[in-house]
Amino acid sequence: MALRTRTQEPPAPTPTGAPDRTWLWVLLGLLAVALAARVLDPMGIPWLRSLLIVFGSLLIEAMPFVAIGAAVSAAIEVFVPASSFAKIATLPKAAQIPAAAIAGMAFPVCECGSVPVARRLARKGLSPAAAVTFMLAAPIVNPVVIASTYVAYRGRDTQMLMVGGRFLLGLIVAMCVGWVVGAIAPGDLLRGAATQAEEEEGPAETRAHRFFSHLSGDLLFMSRFLILGALIAATIQTFVPATVANSLASLPVLSLLAMMFLAFILSLCSESDAFVAASFTAFGPSAQLAFLVFGPMVDTKLAALYVGTYSRRFFWTVLIVVTTATLVGCLWIEVIWG
Amino acid sequence: MSAVAAQATLRWSPTRIATAVALGLWAAMFWVLFATGRTYLYLSTRTSWLVPVGAIIFTAGALGRLATARTERHEPVDRHNAWGLGLMALPVVLVMALPPATLGAYTVQKRATFAGSAIGATARDVTGPLDFVDIGAAQSFPAAMDQLRARAGETITLEGFVTKEASAPPDEILLTRYIVTCCVADATIAQVRVVGLPPGDYTNDEWLQVTGNVYPVGREVLVAASGATQIPVPDQPYLTP
Repeated sequence: MALRTRTQEPPAPTPTGAPDRTWLWVLLGLLAVALAARVLDPMGIPWLRSLLIVFGSLLIEAMPFVAIGAAVSAAIEVFVPASSFAKIATLPKAAQIPAAAIAGMAFPVCECGSVPVARRLARKGLSPAAAVTFMLAAPIVNPVVIASTYVAYRGRDTQMLMVGGRFLLGLIVAMCVGWVVGAIAPGDLLRGAATQAEEEEGPAETRAHRFFSHLSGDLLFMSRFLILGALIAATIQTFVPATVANSLASLPVLSLLAMMFLAFILSLCSESDAFVAASFTAFGPSAQLAFLVFGPMVDTKLAALYVGTYSRRFFWTVLIVVTTATLVGCLWIEVIWG
Repeated sequence: MSAVAAQATLRWSPTRIATAVALGLWAAMFWVLFATGRTYLYLSTRTSWLVPVGAIIFTAGALGRLATARTERHEPVDRHNAWGLGLMALPVVLVMALPPATLGAYTVQKRATFAGSAIGATARDVTGPLDFVDIGAAQSFPAAMDQLRARAGETITLEGFVTKEASAPPDEILLTRYIVTCCVADATIAQVRVVGLPPGDYTNDEWLQVTGNVYPVGREVLVAASGATQIPVPDQPYLTP
């Protein structure tokens, strides 16, 4: 289990031989893309137009959330003393994970924003299990998401089931992941190598200097993975056959897995996914609930972020535990509520 | 004296300047979207506030990186950083270089199963002036459809784009509008079947303003057209529930 964090900007190599001119080729490539976009009329090709618009919209919505998360992360690094988290670490272990899950209620941004914050919390001394629990719970249990779920299901018999079920199941699944991470990972695995911003720090640097240094570092680091994830999500949205899920709607377990699969490939923001989930009228409430709990914890763009920020093994751990816990929870709800 | 000596050894870091430029490109894109109103090609009115927020934070990040770009270390832009920064700049280049465009008829077919069977909007009272969100609500909620049925025959004016069916007669089209809650990725559709159109060559993705009488039939909503006018793409092509 490797929950290490990676460096944001790897240390520059010592100058040897001829200077690296890769940046020049990258610049020329970008200019060629811009020229092609103007001359070749890619928007005239329907599938490419759909792909490019969805790709752009995913990023234009998600990047400000990442930016908010990066700003909060930088503020935690610079303005919150490590001793604050040391006090939390003295809490009984049994209380740390539930407390972290509940703390997610105080962070009203979607899933992309919680990743840099959780990463920073772990680096500041919060246990990896608690940091991961916070990261997974916050996009589901915060007030904005609860309100959007309430509105999306207004006028339906299942409204309170969806709102309450999403909140409680979200908390439980996040805590399950936290417990698994705590059980199989050494306590310091989330405190990986120092970032370049941290390496740059010196005793004479001002807080403002350090804040902006961390802000830019986190933005750069997270953006790359988010862009790759958004590109994959947009491609899947463009090409996946429209009949992929409907045929499974009436099958007990497969309908839940189908909705989780849809949540994974659609990569919707947790603040809007309830409106889409509510439109899957062919699926029962437990399958819609699976969509609402699974999606904010694991989707295409998050997968890229997790792999980039932590490790592949971390991603697979989250995927397996979230899938299992969501499936079991939703099956129980299906048994109880029909 | 030592401070002066240390100051003298500081030099601009190409890596940090390049990072500042990449962040600055994102900031510039958000400012342009904000200033030109192109925000609504990507986001709903509910989430449009994200654009100025992104512009401010990315501007701060770029300026902050620039302010800390002088260092004693040798930091050339190595291959890894060059590709990473290029990847980061790529979406900005695409968004800024591509002409403004909206989702069209091609995506309607893809969305139909995902989310097009009903818009999942709030249970609206379909009692005011009718629009596409009411149509979608009626197709989602039986109570809203009952209210719409009670208003059968009323005159309605809708703006949307043409979605042609291969088997449809020449005076019949589907008029479609996307409904977006947060961003275009969550777009769902509301659709009416327009019949009795004036003769013309209606093509996919063409925007029309259609006036006619509305008639709910089963889960479908028909509009018996009394007039249709070609219109440009609206400034806000997507509706927000």
